[in-house]
Amino acid sequence: MLAYLQNIAVLFCVNAMLAVTLNFIMGYAGIFSLAHAIFFGVGAYVAANIAMHFSDSLLLCVAGAVLVSGALSMVLALPALRVRGEYFVAASLGLQVIGVTVFSEWKGVTGGLGGLVGIPPPTVFGHALATPGEFLALAVAGLAAVLLITTALLRGSFGRSLMAIRDSESAAQAAGKWVAAIKTLSVAVSAGLAGVAGAIYAFYMSFVNVEGFMLETSILLMAMVIIGGTGTVFGPIIGAALLMLLPAALTYLPFLPPSELGTVQQIVYGAIMVLLMMYRPGGLVGGRRKGGKA
Amino acid sequence: MSAPGHIKGEYRSAKHEGAPVDAYCNGNYDGAPGSAAAPPVLLRMQGLSKRFGGLQAISDVSLDLPAGMITTLVGPNGAGKTTLFNMITGHLTPTAGTVHLHGKPLARLAPWQIARLGVGRTFQDLRLFTHMSVQENVTTVTERGSWLWQRRGDPARIEAVLREAGLWDKRHERAADLAYAERKFLSLARIMACDASLWLLDEPASGLDPRSFERFVALLRSYAARGITICIIEHNLDLVTQLSDRLAFLDQGRLLACGDPAGILKDPQLAAIYFGERA
Repeated sequence: MLAYLQNIAVLFCVNAMLAVTLNFIMGYAGIFSLAHAIFFGVGAYVAANIAMHFSDSLLLCVAGAVLVSGALSMVLALPALRVRGEYFVAASLGLQVIGVTVFSEWKGVTGGLGGLVGIPPPTVFGHALATPGEFLALAVAGLAAVLLITTALLRGSFGRSLMAIRDSESAAQAAGKWVAAIKTLSVAVSAGLAGVAGAIYAFYMSFVNVEGFMLETSILLMAMVIIGGTGTVFGPIIGAALLMLLPAALTYLPFLPPSELGTVQQIVYGAIMVLLMMYRPGGLVGGRRKGGKA
Repeated sequence: MSAPGHIKGEYRSAKHEGAPVDAYCNGNYDGAPGSAAAPPVLLRMQGLSKRFGGLQAISDVSLDLPAGMITTLVGPNGAGKTTLFNMITGHLTPTAGTVHLHGKPLARLAPWQIARLGVGRTFQDLRLFTHMSVQENVTTVTERGSWLWQRRGDPARIEAVLREAGLWDKRHERAADLAYAERKFLSLARIMACDASLWLLDEPASGLDPRSFERFVALLRSYAARGITICIIEHNLDLVTQLSDRLAFLDQGRLLACGDPAGILKDPQLAAIYFGERA
């Protein structure tokens, strides 16, 4: 039972990290990305490759994951950020499709559809993290670090610039904000921190393949942010908790046959989304009011 | 503030026959000999045109904005006033013509670069940062960098601007929750805080109650007296007559007249166009 709870807790932390980083661009900069799972995947593959071929040092693997995810997001974001709103959503969907194809086909780096197996446990100052408890501590530390970094950025000038862009891009430009640079940087920060989640996920599972980084993951992450509350600090964490715990909670309902769990889960997700948009469009944390008069 | 006397009467060429046109209206004023009192040109538009598909929104407009003066753009709806602002600020690229600020061309500069050169603007629909507090709206315009951490603008200056705009007591409220007049003042406060030398104000006084209107006029006068160059798009003739040093009259994308407000407002042909009584 303890191992089961630890497993859920680690996966919750990974998903919460992803939701927090997605919220960073979605809730504060108004950039709705359907490609977040790709940067999660890039982090996972980079950390796995570094650990398998160069060094199993946690710091090195995480640093590599952050740098490659962040840098790659900038390359991909530069053309995509030239479009706005629903056009960016469509462009990010394209990125997601391309990413999944690359993950599936670049066998030398990703292992193809079979993925990478036998990822060694990471080491911190020579000590290998191998027990579920150690991984839980690592995941909690990762979540805390991601939360700390994003909150610090959002409470400073960068956060104000992001919110200004979200509320009115033309007014932000007229106020001297270099919108393209700020948006690109925000995507890089978000993707880089998603890479941290990817690295922790890869080490925890000791196996990665493309299944974890599909469009469904991106949609699930977006749902976590919306349900919890876009543009709030703790909303994505609440959303992640709800969507992670829901499948576990459903298994305890005696009248539900296990074969129907998946279907019921999708219906419950959908119903939650519809009800929230009707009665609490700001999400569970965001409250009733969403948007302004202007 | 009033225009120097020698400019008021100096009509060079009529944009429409008999219409008043002063020395700044052809986009080539370089200071007449012996006119030391004439303010220099801060912004120069020469031969500006803008076409949207089959619509010629602006047609060969040449106009100077003299430093430290208040110039008002008037004209019926669709005259091209906001389009002119959008071309100055880089939000639209002219089909033809040039814009120079302090003698430097603004061609190919992005709106944020033009803003950093000292051109501030407000929008007809305000475009406040609605989810941010009043104070954050003003603070963010003082933080001009694009990197992750920027030094915050001088808090004393931000406080002074908010007090001047009458918004200090509302500084923690969301911009979206302000009353209409307060939102107008916040729109102005943002531009006051950003140290722009040229303000482009798009219908800044529309919808203001009489008391707010008086405060608004006093605020603009005070900044004009400090040397800020102001260009206003306005339909409110009270504001036009109370504030303007110069008037530029546009219709269907063409500059028909510019110069002394009294002369232009008395022109029967322009009045007919303005009030939609053209033949």
